[in-house]
Amino acid sequence: MSDVYILGADMIAFGRYPDRSYYQLGAEAALLALADAGLGVRDMQAVYASSCFNAQSMLGQKVLKEIGQTGVPCINVSNACASGATAVREGWIGIKSGIYDAVLVIGAEKNPRGMLGGAPHDGPPPEGLFGSESMPAVFAEAGMVHASAYGTTIEQFAQVAVKNHHHATMNPKAAYRKETPLEMVLESEMIADPLTKLMCSANVDGAAALVLVSEKKAREMGVGRAVRIRASALTSDPYEPRNPVMFDANSVTRLAATQAYEMAGLGPDALDIVELHDCFATAEILHYENLGLCGEGEAGRLIDSGHTALGGKQPVNVSGGLLSKGHPIGATGVANIVEIVEHLRGEAGERQVEGARIGLAHVLGFGAASGIHILEKA
Amino acid sequence: MAKTANVPLPATGVIRVAENGAAHVEGFRCAACNAAFTEPTLACRACGEPVPPAPFRAAETGKLWTWSIVRRSYPGIDVPFVSAIVDLDDGLTVKGTLRDVDHDALAQGLAVRLVYDDAGGATDKDGTPYIGFHFVPAGGEQ
Repeated sequence: MSDVYILGADMIAFGRYPDRSYYQLGAEAALLALADAGLGVRDMQAVYASSCFNAQSMLGQKVLKEIGQTGVPCINVSNACASGATAVREGWIGIKSGIYDAVLVIGAEKNPRGMLGGAPHDGPPPEGLFGSESMPAVFAEAGMVHASAYGTTIEQFAQVAVKNHHHATMNPKAAYRKETPLEMVLESEMIADPLTKLMCSANVDGAAALVLVSEKKAREMGVGRAVRIRASALTSDPYEPRNPVMFDANSVTRLAATQAYEMAGLGPDALDIVELHDCFATAEILHYENLGLCGEGEAGRLIDSGHTALGGKQPVNVSGGLLSKGHPIGATGVANIVEIVEHLRGEAGERQVEGARIGLAHVLGFGAASGIHILEKA
Repeated sequence: MAKTANVPLPATGVIRVAENGAAHVEGFRCAACNAAFTEPTLACRACGEPVPPAPFRAAETGKLWTWSIVRRSYPGIDVPFVSAIVDLDDGLTVKGTLRDVDHDALAQGLAVRLVYDDAGGATDKDGTPYIGFHFVPAGGEQ
């Protein structure tokens, strides 16, 4: 089977686009990625389009109506916050299978405003009567399990926000580019203990796109800036006793990580850079352990040590992460990969992780799904 | 569920209400692997045994597994409240609001008790009341 390469990768700046549709944002990202690859829409043999909220609207076809209706198959994907990684993986499968030599992957989203979470119910609205279904509360509860087991402090959770907001100051495409010292994070509005507002992801619009090609096509085009996909893993939540009454962010991620490391033939020590799903500051702490960046119960100490900050041994969320680059849900899993690609190419500018050769991109979808890709400089 | 005059309606999926108005929380247990669930399913989620897990009447005491003090929720929802995940003593895990608790007393393992309530006084469009539940510390106000 052919190796799969990322030849083009780009994204629009994340933020609010009140005057543009989600598919116009997707089309803009698609043109950027095609230009980056040195290819055109007519070279694309299939389109994989991700949107959590609008996949059913035929996002891929809508994008092609903006940039060229070539008649190729469009596969529209919704898989909660793992939608983007799912579309990338479907594209990867298309190339791996030998059916395609070049495909376009797009993630585009205009998030609903306000606090996300909850679903229609019979009877009175359950919020407040039967605990909380809001996403901050769900991830606060997950963080409190870690705090109960290991004594993780609110300051350690807050340091994730300090770090990722600092990283975002160096990313011109991040939605929020402002330093947030520890006191500011702790003093911002408490949403659900231990999560303050600055420890919750930024609810914004955005789009990102990739051009995936076969090894044959990569050689034809010149592999200079190509990035090889060494692993692509996607999981659903395996049975855990409290799930789904209590959302389990861990087992679904651990299963994907195990599969991805096995496929890539390497372990977490080999990673030079990681983009992981910091939808809330508590989640980043949990995923340090879920991805094997440290041992069980050591994640609080890992953030304190600076290991995961830019300049540390394994920088995490150098883009600013979901906390400050932003979390346009269907675009997130594509944008994480764009960030890794920029570092592996040595094109990340001020926030470049020097000498980065291998990177991991992770997303977690509520409900649940986890997608992990491991990339290597070609 | 068919409505019977004056019998309250369950405010959430795990509550069953008898014709005399008495309520209980119902779980479902797999005969093959003993895993317990809050929802009826066609087969066991845990082991895949293709037999529907059987209903059982859940325990009304348990221990706090995790929680969050919710300070901002959806518009119109009174805050703060404690959102709690409780492991009932028979292995069923249930989410609920923990009331009458000193926030400083919140800790994993806190013994709690399930108390039925009127779901905040909610009624359906015909005026039929609901029956809900919340948790309180087992030893009373902590």
